[in-house]
Amino acid sequence: MEQTGQRVTRTAAILICLALCFGPAACKHHHGSLDVSMYQHRDTKNLVHFVYKAAQRLAKRGATGIEHLRKNRHLSKKKDMYLYIYDTHGNCLFHAGMQNLEGKNLFDVTDKNGKPIYQLLVQALANPDNPHAWVHYSWWEPGKFYPAPKSSCHFKVTAPDGQTYIAGGGLTYPHEEREFIRIIVDQAVRLLREKGGDALDQIADPVSQYNYREVRVFVLRPDGELLISPDINSDFSQTNLLAIADETGHKPFQAALADLAEKDTTWQVFMAKNRYKREFTKKSLYMRKTTLNGQTVYVAAITDLPEPPF
Amino acid sequence: MPTKEKTYEYSVNQVPPAGHLMLSSFQHVLLMIVSLVLPILFASQMSASPRFAASLIAFSMLAAGLGSIIQSVGLPFIGSGYLCPNLCGPSYFSLSLSAAWTGGIPLMRGMIIIAGLVEMAIAPVIQKLRRIFPKYIVGLVVAMVGVSVIKPAITSFFGLAYHKDAIHNIDILIGAFTLMIMVLANIWGRGVIKMYCLLIGMACGWGLALIINPEYINSLSAIGKMPFFSLPVIGKEFRGIAFDIRLLIPFVVIALSGSLKSFGNLMAAQKISEPALDTVNFTPIRKGLLADGLSTVLAGMLGGMAVDTSSSNIGLAGATRVVSRWISVGAGIIFMLLAFFPKFVTFLSLMPKPVLGSAVVFSGCFMLCIGLAEMFRKEWNQRKTFVVGISLFFGLSTAFLPSLYARAPHFIQTFFTDPLPTTTILAVLLNQLLNLDKLFHRDKQETV
Repeated sequence: MEQTGQRVTRTAAILICLALCFGPAACKHHHGSLDVSMYQHRDTKNLVHFVYKAAQRLAKRGATGIEHLRKNRHLSKKKDMYLYIYDTHGNCLFHAGMQNLEGKNLFDVTDKNGKPIYQLLVQALANPDNPHAWVHYSWWEPGKFYPAPKSSCHFKVTAPDGQTYIAGGGLTYPHEEREFIRIIVDQAVRLLREKGGDALDQIADPVSQYNYREVRVFVLRPDGELLISPDINSDFSQTNLLAIADETGHKPFQAALADLAEKDTTWQVFMAKNRYKREFTKKSLYMRKTTLNGQTVYVAAITDLPEPPF
Repeated sequence: MPTKEKTYEYSVNQVPPAGHLMLSSFQHVLLMIVSLVLPILFASQMSASPRFAASLIAFSMLAAGLGSIIQSVGLPFIGSGYLCPNLCGPSYFSLSLSAAWTGGIPLMRGMIIIAGLVEMAIAPVIQKLRRIFPKYIVGLVVAMVGVSVIKPAITSFFGLAYHKDAIHNIDILIGAFTLMIMVLANIWGRGVIKMYCLLIGMACGWGLALIINPEYINSLSAIGKMPFFSLPVIGKEFRGIAFDIRLLIPFVVIALSGSLKSFGNLMAAQKISEPALDTVNFTPIRKGLLADGLSTVLAGMLGGMAVDTSSSNIGLAGATRVVSRWISVGAGIIFMLLAFFPKFVTFLSLMPKPVLGSAVVFSGCFMLCIGLAEMFRKEWNQRKTFVVGISLFFGLSTAFLPSLYARAPHFIQTFFTDPLPTTTILAVLLNQLLNLDKLFHRDKQETV
C-alpha cells in the first residue's frame, strides 16, 4: 500500500513537471474576431459580445432575422441588457426592452440633459477612435420611471438584401472604463487638429460626446492655463492644475506634463477622498499632447479606476 | 480492533520522501499563487509597462519564497519552525500604491522596509504578553484569521476580478464543483487522495473550467507572449530607496495590524503542529514574528510588495495533516525558482478564480473551526461571553459596516480597521477589564 502510494506520488510529481514544462508551450491563441481586451469589467465585455453576436446574425439574415427576434423576444433580452435595432434614418425596427418604441423615428430623441442619442451614435459609428461606437447618456430601465446613467455600444452591418442596420445594446449604471476616456480624448485631439480653436466650443458643449456623467474633456496650456476647465463651463475661476496635489501629495498633472515631454500620451493615477469610504477612491487621468494654432496644448479626461474585488 | 487514527501524515520536523515533499510543496505553491493577483493589479493600476509588471511579480515572489524559507527552515534565532509560508500581504496593497504614486517605487520600498522594522521591533514584546492571551482568546484570534480570508475567498469563488462586476452561473458551478471535490477527497479519501485533496480539487476544477468556459481557454493565449526564462530587470523605477514622514503613521499602523495577523497565524500554526501543548509556547511565535518582519524588510530591499504569513496555507496543513516545515521550505524554493520562469507564473496565475476561491474557502474552514474549538475547549462563563461577544460585535462590524467607520473620529478609524486586529485588541482589553475584580481579590488575600 505504502509502495503504491509512493509510486502514485512519484508519477503525479513527474506529470506536474511535464505539464509545467510543455503545457504552456502547447497553448495556442484562441482569439475570436472580436477584441475586448481593452475593457476591464466583465459586464462591459459581456455587453459587447452580446451586441456583436446579434449584429453578426443580422448581417446574415437581415429582415428575417429581425422578424425572428420579434417572435422570440427572450433571445434578445438578458437580466442586465437588451438589444435594439435601428435603420440608418433613426427608425426603431426592434427594441427588446421597450416594445412601444418600435416603428417610431428616434432621430431627434434627446435624454433629460438634451443629448441627441441617435445622432451621437451615428457619430460614434463614424469615429475610428471608437471601435465599438460607445455612447453615454441618461435613459430609464424598462418598467421604471426614473433616469439612470447608461452606456451603449453599437455595430453597423449590411444584410444580404443590401439594407444597413444598426444593432445596439446598453448597460444601465455602467462601470467606468478607462477605454471610455481614451476614446473621447483621442477624438477631441482629432477635432482640435482638424478645426483648430473652433473645436473648443464643441468639446466644451455639455451635450456633446466629450462630456458624460462626471467625465469631461478639458484642455490646458503648458503653464497650466485652462482653455476648457475640468469642472465648470466657464473660465471664471482659473485653477492652476499643475499645482494641485492629491490626498497623498502626488501631483498628477505636473507628472503627466513631465511624462509628455518624451511621448504623446500618458496615464496617471491619483487618489481622491470620498467621505463615505475609508479607502481613497482611485482616479485615472489620460492626457495627450497636441498643437493648437502652432502652440502645444494638453487634452485630458479623468475617470474612476476599478476597485479590487476585496 | 479499531485502529487509532494517525495524528499526522508528516509531523512538523519529519522530512517527507522526495516525491511527497515536491507534490505537497507544489500544492502549497498553488495556494500562494492566489496572492500574485496583488502585484498584477498593482502594476495595472500604476499603468506600468509589462517589463515593470514582470519585475515586480518576480521580486515579490523572491521575497515571499525567501520569507517562507526563513520562517520554516529552523534557524537558531529567527523563524517559527512551523509550516507557515509567506505571500504578498493584501493589507499593504492600498498603502503601497499610495507610496508608489507619491514617490515612485523607491518610496514604496523605503516605507515597506520601515514597516518590516516595526514588525521586528514588536516581536520581542510578544513574549511579554503571555498573560494577556489566555487560551480562549488564542482560539478567538485563530478563528478571526479564518474570518479574515472570507472576502478574498468569496470574491474569487464567484470569479470576480473587480468590485461589483458580473457573476456568471458557470463560475458558480466551477467553484462549487471544485470545493466539493476537495471536501469529498478530504473526508472520504485515504492516503495520497486525502493528502493531495486540494491539488486534486484544483486540477479537476481547472479541467472543468477549460471544458465548459471558453473564457478560460482564451485567457491561456497570454502565455505565448511570455518568455520561458527571464531575470527580473532592475529598471530605473526600482533604483533607490526613499522615505516620507507623512506616510510613517499609516505604515506603522498597518505594520501593527499585520503583526497581529501574523501572531494569529503563528498561533494557529502552533495549534495545528503541536496540539498537545497545554499553554502557548511564545518562543517560536516571537521568532516567527521576527522572521515575518525580516521578510517584509527583504521585500522592500528587493523591490517587491510587502509579504505576510499565509492563513490559507496553515489551514491546508490542518486539512491534510501534513505539517512538515520542510514543505514550507520546499514551497519557498519552488516559488523563488518560478520567479525566473514567467511562462509558468503566467500559466499558474491564469488558474480560474473560482478554483482559487474554493481552495481558500477549503483551507479557511479549518482555521475557523480550529479556533472555535480551541475557544470553547475549557469551561465557559459569563465573563468570556462578554469578552468574546463584544469583541466580535465591534470587530465584525468593521467588515459589515465599513462606510460607518469612514465617518468615525480619527482615533476610532485608526484602531477599527479589520475584523482580526479590532477583535484581538478589544478581546485583550476586555479580558483585562472584566477580570479586574479577580486581581483585587488576590491582592486582598495576600494582605490578609
